[in-house]
Amino acid sequence: MLLVIAACIPGVACSTWYFGIGVLINIVLAASMAIALEACALKLRGKELRVHLADNSALVTAVLFAIALPPGSAWWLLAIGIFFAIVIVKHSFGGLGQNLFNPAMCGYLLLLLSFPLDMTYWHIPNGGVLGGDNFTVLSLAGFGQSITASLPIFNHSQIPLQETIDGLTMATPLIEFEMGASSALLAARDAGVSLFSRSSETAWELINIAYLIGGLFLLYKKIISWHIPVSIIATITVISTLFYAPASFAIYGTPYLHLFGSATMIGAFFIATDPVSAATTSRGKIFYGIIIGLVIYSIRVWGSYPDSIAIAVLFGNFCAPALDYFCRPRIYGHGSKPKHKVQSEPES
Amino acid sequence: MRLINKLLGRRDDRAPYSFFGGISPPAHKTRSLRSRLMPTPIPELLLLPLSQNREADAIPVVNVGERVLKFQLLAEPGEPQGTALHAPTSGRISSISMAPVTIESSSPRLCMHLQTDGVDAAIDVEAEADYRALGHLQLLEKIELAGICGLGGAGFATARKLSLSINQGVDLLIINAAECEPYISADEALLRERAVDVVSGADILQSISLAKRCVIAIAEDKEDAIETLVAALKTSSIELITLASKYPAGGEKQIIQAVSGMQTPSNQHPPSIGVLVHNVGTAYAVYRAVVCGEPCISRITTLTGAPLQTPKNFETLIGTPVSFLFDLCGIDSAIHTGSIVGGSLMGIKLLNLDVPVLKTSNCLIAMSASEFPAAAPELACIRCGYCATACPARLLPQQLYAFSRSQNHQQIEDHGLFDCIECGACAYVCPSSIPLVQYYRTSKQEIRQLQASQQQSLRWQTRFQQHQYRIKLQQEQIQHHKPVSIDMDSIDKQADSEETGQQATSEIPKASFSRELAQQEIADAVARVRARKSGVIASSNNNENGS
Repeated sequence: MLLVIAACIPGVACSTWYFGIGVLINIVLAASMAIALEACALKLRGKELRVHLADNSALVTAVLFAIALPPGSAWWLLAIGIFFAIVIVKHSFGGLGQNLFNPAMCGYLLLLLSFPLDMTYWHIPNGGVLGGDNFTVLSLAGFGQSITASLPIFNHSQIPLQETIDGLTMATPLIEFEMGASSALLAARDAGVSLFSRSSETAWELINIAYLIGGLFLLYKKIISWHIPVSIIATITVISTLFYAPASFAIYGTPYLHLFGSATMIGAFFIATDPVSAATTSRGKIFYGIIIGLVIYSIRVWGSYPDSIAIAVLFGNFCAPALDYFCRPRIYGHGSKPKHKVQSEPES
Repeated sequence: MRLINKLLGRRDDRAPYSFFGGISPPAHKTRSLRSRLMPTPIPELLLLPLSQNREADAIPVVNVGERVLKFQLLAEPGEPQGTALHAPTSGRISSISMAPVTIESSSPRLCMHLQTDGVDAAIDVEAEADYRALGHLQLLEKIELAGICGLGGAGFATARKLSLSINQGVDLLIINAAECEPYISADEALLRERAVDVVSGADILQSISLAKRCVIAIAEDKEDAIETLVAALKTSSIELITLASKYPAGGEKQIIQAVSGMQTPSNQHPPSIGVLVHNVGTAYAVYRAVVCGEPCISRITTLTGAPLQTPKNFETLIGTPVSFLFDLCGIDSAIHTGSIVGGSLMGIKLLNLDVPVLKTSNCLIAMSASEFPAAAPELACIRCGYCATACPARLLPQQLYAFSRSQNHQQIEDHGLFDCIECGACAYVCPSSIPLVQYYRTSKQEIRQLQASQQQSLRWQTRFQQHQYRIKLQQEQIQHHKPVSIDMDSIDKQADSEETGQQATSEIPKASFSRELAQQEIADAVARVRARKSGVIASSNNNENGS
């Protein structure tokens, strides 16, 4: 489990570089609350704390949940989400290994449905790239603003949304497609955005590459099997290529945008591969990945939700038990009939 | 390159023969292979169980107190699956009584206690220089008389296995020298020093089973043994195949898949696909029985483990107590924490060191805390699927575990619980250290018990219905005032069916001397039975529970 967290490090580092210390604050807050809640839940269920906390599963849930949330989310938002994820989705279903759904994504989805505005507001200190260059996200002033956003106890008046909202710093470039703000994106592209300018498109490119590297590390360490990530990425590539037309680029996006301009990599390598709620047979995993890939694309292009990973993964979770039942491997000695053979006559 | 070959459907000649799944645990074999194969001194007391396997006890042919000589027949098999028992050395039978024996668990079995005299006087045995001159049934008879059973594991009587396969016809005979389980090196030690004899044994087995092709299959990491085998096979038609050295390559089903590419159909024996598998130790015992005329009185047993100062392979007399062998190797009791008979993955824990070496005991491990640490605490299953990758039967252990815990018998059987060979590969790879095999054994037991009780209740139901039917018939006869011809058989049956519950029927046989009296009694009994019709159902249920 710790290796999963280790594999997140490049991605988290990239996110922090672009979106500021708020990413790390998210993770620290979520992780501490998750461990506290996990300990309470284990205590209530009469389990031995030392043995069961050591599996670090709550930590992984917390990290994945915190990464999915906008940087600089308020502490109460994180608290609600993580409570739902750990206590309701995981422990009330019987604890680790018994939950039907991915806890991190359930927590995320609950927040997305209940607090849509907070969940689509990505706080970037000083308004990111367009707001001027008085200070950068990683400067002291940038830290201060991130901490104030995360812990509104210190400063009750939240930074008003309309003042800092910025099309380019929203969750993913795909959202701009949804919101019809593609012109800004195209303009940025035309301007020849350099690698280290803090535009959201290159940011997400780099973040995705970082998560891809982390995911490949997990594959190399055999923590996850190749079936789910490969089938998700292949499905998205195939279907986005199928619908790709330069004329309707603004509606369907490019295959490249679908793979690297969104949360695809973290979804494919880190979220959909949660073994507890995913399909567990090899063939089942491939179908599971295909289903998730199709749902991700459908929701992005034809649906009305900006982020589709969470919904797609939960949809996959629903299908997993049936997939496992129908994709059982052929057991040794079952199936092919014994070959016809010539009876040899015993000598007398 | 292998991948390209696989994609093109070509067989890569360099790739060792393989099977589904499997694991590669540390082998721990070199320790016991450092010294040569050694005979043991004769212990003072040999414990000879009358049954070496799960079958019924053999029937003793010598009396308590009688002096016996080496190779003398002590007990002959009581049923076709049983094996004969011979005296491993000369001495006196001091008693035939129950003693703990490790067959499936450490339960007491009937044993002959042989008080040895150290003289080792033998009866004359008839050596057969030219076994090729004998017909295959004559050879088979020699093997049966020698009391050989499968020396690799389950201890199925070799003669029985051969005769069953002769009836079905065998194309391929596999001599299993894979010996994949950690710590065991008995077969490797045997092949290293006596490969020529093993090859003769394999030749005899081939001529008995009339197999067209005979293959010796060995794991690729046993280089010394392969070298001697290659030399021994120079003039022979027997082939040598090297298998990937992973566990459980030596499982019967796995070795068949690796060698022939075929799979033994579920619930059937290998002869149904024309394959027969014998252990290399069995082949050696066959050689000894046919060529030297000696019955099976010893076997090669590995003694290993960190507490032993000189781990080695012994040519052990059957019946030697485990403690005697451990003492021979110089056991350090300070770090000795327990003992296993068999390998570290499928072996049985010994509760008592006075149990004897059986014909199937291939390895004795003295455990230490450093090599066998206490089991890690069992954590939750996260369905990671490592177990499914390791399972050689291609089961889904994670699903079986879930169904075993929820006692979902229908699903667990659908998922192939009874195809599990209990090799323990799943539990070995489990990151949550779940003792998966224990769960499967429990579930198998539960299902078997349930089936037995269902069958029994079905039997009681049928008997009760027949009982009701007889009562109805008798009643009709009485009502029509017909002269009743008492069928003693039916009354006996009735008595039989009621004997466990009702005392009323005991009166019927008494009345048999007078026809009228009998009629009267029956009528009374019938009236009583009618009055308590519902009571009978209840008591029948009680019987079912009680028996």
